[in-house]
Amino acid sequence: MIKVQELNYTYPGQDSPVLNGLNFDIQQGEVFGFLGPSGAGKSTTQNILIGKLKQYSGSAVVLDQEVKSVGSEYFERVGVAFEFPNFYNRFTALENLRHFGSLYRKRCSDPMDLLQQVGLIEAAHMKVADFSKGMKMRLNYCRAVQNNPDVLFLDEPTSGLDPVNADMLKKLIKQRKNAGTTIILTTHNMQAAEQLCDRVAFVVNGVIKIIDSPKNLMLRRGQRKVRIEYQMQEGKKTSEFPLTDIGDNTEFLSIIRSHPIVTIHSLEATLDQIFMDVTGESLV
Amino acid sequence: MRLWKLFLFDLRFQWKHGLYFVYFLVCMVYIGGLSIVPEAYLDNTLLLLTFSDPSALGLILAGGILLLERDQGVFENLFVTPVKTLEYILAKCFSLSCLSLTVAFAIHLSSTGWPVSLVQFVLAIVLTSSFFTLIGLAAAIRSRSINSFLLLSQLYSLIFILPVLDYLNLFTTSLFAVLPVQGTLMLLEGTSHPLTISDFLYAVCILLIWIGLAVWWVYSLLQRSVRTQDGDEKHV
Repeated sequence: MIKVQELNYTYPGQDSPVLNGLNFDIQQGEVFGFLGPSGAGKSTTQNILIGKLKQYSGSAVVLDQEVKSVGSEYFERVGVAFEFPNFYNRFTALENLRHFGSLYRKRCSDPMDLLQQVGLIEAAHMKVADFSKGMKMRLNYCRAVQNNPDVLFLDEPTSGLDPVNADMLKKLIKQRKNAGTTIILTTHNMQAAEQLCDRVAFVVNGVIKIIDSPKNLMLRRGQRKVRIEYQMQEGKKTSEFPLTDIGDNTEFLSIIRSHPIVTIHSLEATLDQIFMDVTGESLV
Repeated sequence: MRLWKLFLFDLRFQWKHGLYFVYFLVCMVYIGGLSIVPEAYLDNTLLLLTFSDPSALGLILAGGILLLERDQGVFENLFVTPVKTLEYILAKCFSLSCLSLTVAFAIHLSSTGWPVSLVQFVLAIVLTSSFFTLIGLAAAIRSRSINSFLLLSQLYSLIFILPVLDYLNLFTTSLFAVLPVQGTLMLLEGTSHPLTISDFLYAVCILLIWIGLAVWWVYSLLQRSVRTQDGDEKHV
């Protein structure tokens, strides 16, 4: 579905390249996440894949076409939700969706159905100027998927959403994936990446440092241990035990039999930790 | 048809941003002003007024609309749909030509009645409005602020309005013949007395040639700044 080989990019007027020989491929129906600090090259990569940056070297093939040479027809099969949800502010949500939908040759989804899915049906006739950031983000998603794209680019799709709406949007994204849509996610939200992505790529200084599934990364970079917090008469106490042969570990068995357990966790790495390890930067 | 849908949306955009209300008020002022112009000066005044406002209103309005769209941040989203750059440009030209025609007819009908040659009148307004709409779009694409747009649009348009000096008998040169406004003034003059076929063809052709050049200019500016973002033009 997407195949990128030795992708290099330097912005006009700049000396140093933003992307240095990226290689990756994305299969149909896969959710692929680009993670990395600001300025690492994630957005540049996305902008190349959606055909906005043409002066790259190497190869970027999407839907069997080299993106450098695609025309506007390319967008019949592609959906894009940018990080900032911008609309015609004096038009209602419904008018905005109808207008953008009218620009496709193919039949688009009913805007009212989409608004229903994201919980905006009551706001269909409200001017977008009166929308909150969260409402605009949900409307942004509707606009990106209304042409039922084969490839969907989502930039920080859960930004500005409360936990309930973020969860609802993640479910909708998973439904799209299950229906066969290839989804490219650019985000700083490690929880969203962990929950949604089949694979993630950590981009640092224009280079992909790691590509793998979140699960594999978390297991491989974590400790094969379990941490147990339990209640003693003098207060709470924490102990760690290796996972190997834990069923035969007498001290561990003794604790869980004779003390109230407060928490118990396996110590695989979190994506946040991996992000900090790989990029050398902390998540804000 | 996508161009038709863009055209209709542009009309609604202009309506929602109050352009028609503003132009209704402007029309009232013009009509009131023309009613006190002495009969002997009415034709010349009307011609210059028709040229300077309804015909050329696209210069400021098209740029203003583009700047509004840019401020609302919709360009990025518009150009990740199958919309073609040329369709976007033509929709702006057609929608603003409609406003120009409406205003021009309102002014003429209330002062001197129907133009003698309706075809020449409509062509003068539509072609000139389209040309100045394109100049306004180009100025807006290359501007980073309202002030720079106002300055740039006046600079761009200045050279094109020079044939008015000839019309006012202030200065003349044969070079004016290659400017589009020469065609506009001929067509507008022709609304009170019919033009010869050759004059009519010259006036329409000079306007069409300049419109073609302006379309190409705006198209390449948009392609390099909006459709792609690494074309060495400022990003809109």
